[in-house]
Amino acid sequence: MDFSLLLSSYATVWSNPEVLLMTFIGALGGVLLGAIPGMTATMGVALLIPFSFGMDLIPSIGLLLGIYCGGMYGGSISAILIHAPGTPAAAATLLDGYPMCKKGQAGKALSVAMFASFCGGVIGALIMTFLSPLVADMAMNFGPGEMFMLAVFGLSVIVAISGKSVAKGLISAFFGMLLCTVGLDPTNGIPRFITTKQTGLLDGFQFIPTLIGLFAVSEVIAGVERIIRGEEHEQKSNEKITNVLPDWKTIKRIWPNILSGGLIGTFIGAIPGAGGDIAVFVSYGASKSASKHPELYGTGIPNGVAATESANNGCSGGAMIPLLSLGVPGDSVTAILLGAFIMKGITPGPMMYVTELPTVYRVFAALMLANLCMLVVGCLGVRFFAKIVSIEKKMLYPIILVISLLGAFSINKNAFDVGVCVAFGIIGWLMNKYEFPLSPILLALILGPMCEKNFVRYMNIQRGNFFAITTSPIAMVFATVAILVIVYSVYNQSKINKRAAANAAQEKA
Amino acid sequence: MKKISRRDFLAASAAVGAAGVLTACGGSSSSTATSTAASTAASTAAGGKSTDYPTKGISVICPWSAGGGTDSCLRAFCEAMGKNLGVTLTVDNQTGGGGILGHQAIADANTDGYTIGMITFELATYKKLGTSELTWENYAPLCRVNTDAAAITVGAKWAADNGITDLPGFIDYCKAHPGEVQMGGSSNASVWHIAGGYLMSATGIDIQMITYQEGAATAVQNAAGGFIQGVTVSLAEARSFIESGDLICLGVMDEERNPVFPDVPTCKEQGYDITYYTQRGMAAPLGVDDAIMTRLEEACAAAIEDPDFVTFMNNNGQAISYLDAQGYADYLKQAAVDVAAAMDAVGL
Repeated sequence: MDFSLLLSSYATVWSNPEVLLMTFIGALGGVLLGAIPGMTATMGVALLIPFSFGMDLIPSIGLLLGIYCGGMYGGSISAILIHAPGTPAAAATLLDGYPMCKKGQAGKALSVAMFASFCGGVIGALIMTFLSPLVADMAMNFGPGEMFMLAVFGLSVIVAISGKSVAKGLISAFFGMLLCTVGLDPTNGIPRFITTKQTGLLDGFQFIPTLIGLFAVSEVIAGVERIIRGEEHEQKSNEKITNVLPDWKTIKRIWPNILSGGLIGTFIGAIPGAGGDIAVFVSYGASKSASKHPELYGTGIPNGVAATESANNGCSGGAMIPLLSLGVPGDSVTAILLGAFIMKGITPGPMMYVTELPTVYRVFAALMLANLCMLVVGCLGVRFFAKIVSIEKKMLYPIILVISLLGAFSINKNAFDVGVCVAFGIIGWLMNKYEFPLSPILLALILGPMCEKNFVRYMNIQRGNFFAITTSPIAMVFATVAILVIVYSVYNQSKINKRAAANAAQEKA
Repeated sequence: MKKISRRDFLAASAAVGAAGVLTACGGSSSSTATSTAASTAASTAAGGKSTDYPTKGISVICPWSAGGGTDSCLRAFCEAMGKNLGVTLTVDNQTGGGGILGHQAIADANTDGYTIGMITFELATYKKLGTSELTWENYAPLCRVNTDAAAITVGAKWAADNGITDLPGFIDYCKAHPGEVQMGGSSNASVWHIAGGYLMSATGIDIQMITYQEGAATAVQNAAGGFIQGVTVSLAEARSFIESGDLICLGVMDEERNPVFPDVPTCKEQGYDITYYTQRGMAAPLGVDDAIMTRLEEACAAAIEDPDFVTFMNNNGQAISYLDAQGYADYLKQAAVDVAAAMDAVGL
């Protein structure tokens, strides 16, 4: 580590007005794009690549990293305010963010999300700066077997996000798993449950339309139902936002969640093929398991929001590690960033650390700057965003519906996806009515294909000998942790249910 | 001038966004509305040009997702075409179904010349796979833009352990160990998967192809990590690990050496006459007015020589291999036959 070079790179990047401006614009655009369901950071980055053609490398990288970091935070805004995760990586934020908003703490939820995003981003950027070669070596050791076990480990979180009934959580999860089997099978391209005429389902149910349907559209249907029955109460925003950052007391409460979230996010983000959408659930499960009050998770506590938002922003630093040190993008945004580097004549990879070290350090500095810009944009926006909840519900629901359907359409420009979105809205509404948790479906949709692909690939490579997996230490660690997590979560849940019953009895007495 | 075109790009994108809002539920009508809304922005860009076509922005369909090889090549090419046509070309990623949805959208597009698209290698596989009825005959080709040759790249450690230094050594090893060597392509029936089948049928070896639905990057990473022995993807996709020394390329399936990798020999040099590559080109739907087609072909011919585009492609390690409309049509016709034969060899 060349510290004087690192410092001088920081100085160069942070004192360049063009870089500052571009990164800020990127963060602003990213937050706005991220907040709209169906508009992802990937789209924003792809759209702006030609715009950055004429710029120098570092300003254009600053712009793109700004969108990347901003988009990660932006997704939480709509998750908290309207129950519609703006990006898949914000899907776990609504577990506690939306209940907080319903309790009249929208501003607090937003500021916790923002603060956690910033801290998670900084943790990711720091690990990237100091431990890149180490983490990159680790990422290289992930083959099909290891990826399969990582997915199994991710699935073990299902119990923790199931809510009151583990059985209902598992039913949701298996429903999600079944949905994954629709479409062309990933290994041999054989159509399952469809004919090839049904082009809309060739790739199965599209993730983002399903996500928007399950969460946002179902919430709109439920809201309309409440209005018809006259049960809807207008939410008055009498929450006073005196400080855009969380107060010291809250920070003291949530810092362990932020720290673990940042680390989990960076680690999972660094594994190519695993990203923020997985990291947030793992981090949420971990923070719930470690908490002294697991029964409060899901009722709207800042710890839940902090755990997920730090994890998805930690991912951005993590995903940059294999990009720079191996030339392997960790997710779809970094895949586009790879193109941006190549366009400027720089090939990321092991040789970049030898021949382009100053550039590498400047990218580190730009990522740190992007996180700071995101914080500034967030601070400026909190008061404004929090006002959305005080819009009259009769006005708000149609707007959410339009934005949702538009988001479902825009991801593939396919009208069929709009139908998928509406159908899942109805399914989600019914499931909510009968208290089936929705998040396990989502987790199954994210991890199901990853499980299947890597399992089949592993079996192909090992020629059918599955137990060869016992020779991989990484896979065995994941398998063991998965079993421990399942056992502990079931025990934890029974404890939570007992405590809830005791509380209810106490209230009665 | 550059600044103006960039601002117009943003304006046009904004207009496209707005048009998208209006027609979100309209489905098929969206492309027309998009062009209309974009026209306000684009007509300012056209400035003094007096020709009838184009008077407004052109929408260009990309059947593959943003950020991929086709998308990046197409975006750079559209910038270059825009300079010649004087309007903005907006890339529209219509993805899904292994590229079928986008290819279908190009074939079904309005024939007013304001919607064109990029067609890729996979078009030649759909009918044979039975996944779609689309063939090259559903399009009016404009030009071929790029070809990337497949290459035989193996793990450096594995090669050293088994004394493999060149293609004949690899072939001999495979013959001595039939069915043992595992190579990664991209997804099932993709160009690199079929490349592996082509290698088998051309050399008489038996290797096991492992499919990577996520794309070539994961296959390359697995090869570098030693989980599989090698890959049959393009040089550009394996570049960073070849440079780091984790992978070595034994031969590229091309007529000539790749200028970015002058040290990597072709298969032909080593006595194996194997050429195999993916291709990307521009096409319009059938039925577009001849005058408009001629104008678009001119723009393609000019764009291919645009210095920014050339630099971009060189940096990317993607080869520019231009064929004009007629040449491209002949090529597509021949490719359909060749690909079908190669697919028979892999058993698809």
